[in-house]
Amino acid sequence: MESNRSKYILIGLTAVCILLIGITSFKDGFLEPLRTSMGYFLIPVQSGVNRAGTSLYNSMRSYTTFKSALDENNQLKAQIDALTEENTRLRSGQFELERLRDLYQLDQDYQQYEKIGARVIAKDSGDWFQVFRVNKGSADGVRVDANVIAGGGLVGIVTDVGANYATVRSIIDDVSRVSGMAPQSGDTCIVAGDLTLFSEGRLRITGIRKDGDIKDGDQIVTSNISSKFLPGLLIGYATDVTTDNTRLTKSGYLVPVAQFSSLQEVLIITQIKDDQFTGDEPAEGAGS
Amino acid sequence: MKRILVNILLMLLAFTIQNGVFPLLPFLSASPNLLLILTFSFGFIHGQEPGMWYGLFAGILLDLFYSGPFGFYTLLFVYIGYLNGICTRYYYEDYITLPLALSLVNEVIYNLYIYVFRFLIRNRLDFFYYFREIIVPEMIFTTVTTLLIYRFFLFTNRRIEEMDNRRD
Repeated sequence: MESNRSKYILIGLTAVCILLIGITSFKDGFLEPLRTSMGYFLIPVQSGVNRAGTSLYNSMRSYTTFKSALDENNQLKAQIDALTEENTRLRSGQFELERLRDLYQLDQDYQQYEKIGARVIAKDSGDWFQVFRVNKGSADGVRVDANVIAGGGLVGIVTDVGANYATVRSIIDDVSRVSGMAPQSGDTCIVAGDLTLFSEGRLRITGIRKDGDIKDGDQIVTSNISSKFLPGLLIGYATDVTTDNTRLTKSGYLVPVAQFSSLQEVLIITQIKDDQFTGDEPAEGAGS
Repeated sequence: MKRILVNILLMLLAFTIQNGVFPLLPFLSASPNLLLILTFSFGFIHGQEPGMWYGLFAGILLDLFYSGPFGFYTLLFVYIGYLNGICTRYYYEDYITLPLALSLVNEVIYNLYIYVFRFLIRNRLDFFYYFREIIVPEMIFTTVTTLLIYRFFLFTNRRIEEMDNRRD
């Protein structure tokens, strides 16, 4: 009796899930309100746990460095002891300063685009997908398809936005495809993420014309013809470019500029590519 | 009632730790799948129907996090809760071998599901690469974590049950 009931529920749930998968595969965004309202509840929790985790990890790390320093300091005077401690504190401040300066520098480089800084608060824990979540959302002007940069280069694209969060798919994710080009020759190519190349820290480049001028070490930037990415953002440098078996195209690998393993702060460009087709100014204050 | 509340809190905690803390630890090459462990443990301890509901909530949480088709994880987790609930007839306290074996099997099912529906259909055929680089590390981490968490989870659930019974 009991087991029959649960069987019916199981069948019902299965049908609902498959229906939902079907609907959302074709028409994404229909569950947007649900995701957003859940975000109001979950994001503060995630930010809190993230902050606690970060500080725990940082204190753990400073504890280990402190211990190794202690052995040396045993022979030193108390004065030097105090100095070392102060030095450590100042240095961690210095690191932060450098990181923020780098970010600021990047801000200067890409000055023509309006952008906002955001903090990475959650990442996918499995290794199948390279997706992360940041603490800025539609309330801050982030929209779906906004480009995300960090450390001097392209990081990814916003795939999903709630009021106070945004989900970003990195360009190293297996489904990511970015239309790129070599700025000096204008030759285009496709930069594709590939899980099998991920551990080597590389991406795949395909579709270079046979006589196209892309050589090892060339800069690859986002191309003018991309429908989602703003033109001229640095992606990385080409390596190992070879001619394909078909003799029609060339392909190779790309070493990205952004450091994906240690992303903490990113910049989100609030302007999106669509704006350039609909009008020259981004719709400012549309939601307010 | 209390049981449901505590378990939902535990699930939220596991979810946030899994997404907010584990990726920060650089020495973890793979990270254990806490939600999977909680779902199958719950199903194993309490039976098919509770396991199914637990899987439903865990799956919805995951689906809300990702921007892909909604329901992808929910479907899998409902089944994991249900199928592990069948094994509940072999459940008795302080029995750790079967949960460990179940954790291995579940982890394989979970990863195969993702591989087949997210990678194989896009013509990524190099299964052994993915198996070696992703599935095996995650399996090991999850099984080891099961060893630690299962006891704690069992203990918590038993305590709540005792408290509920005392009140009745």
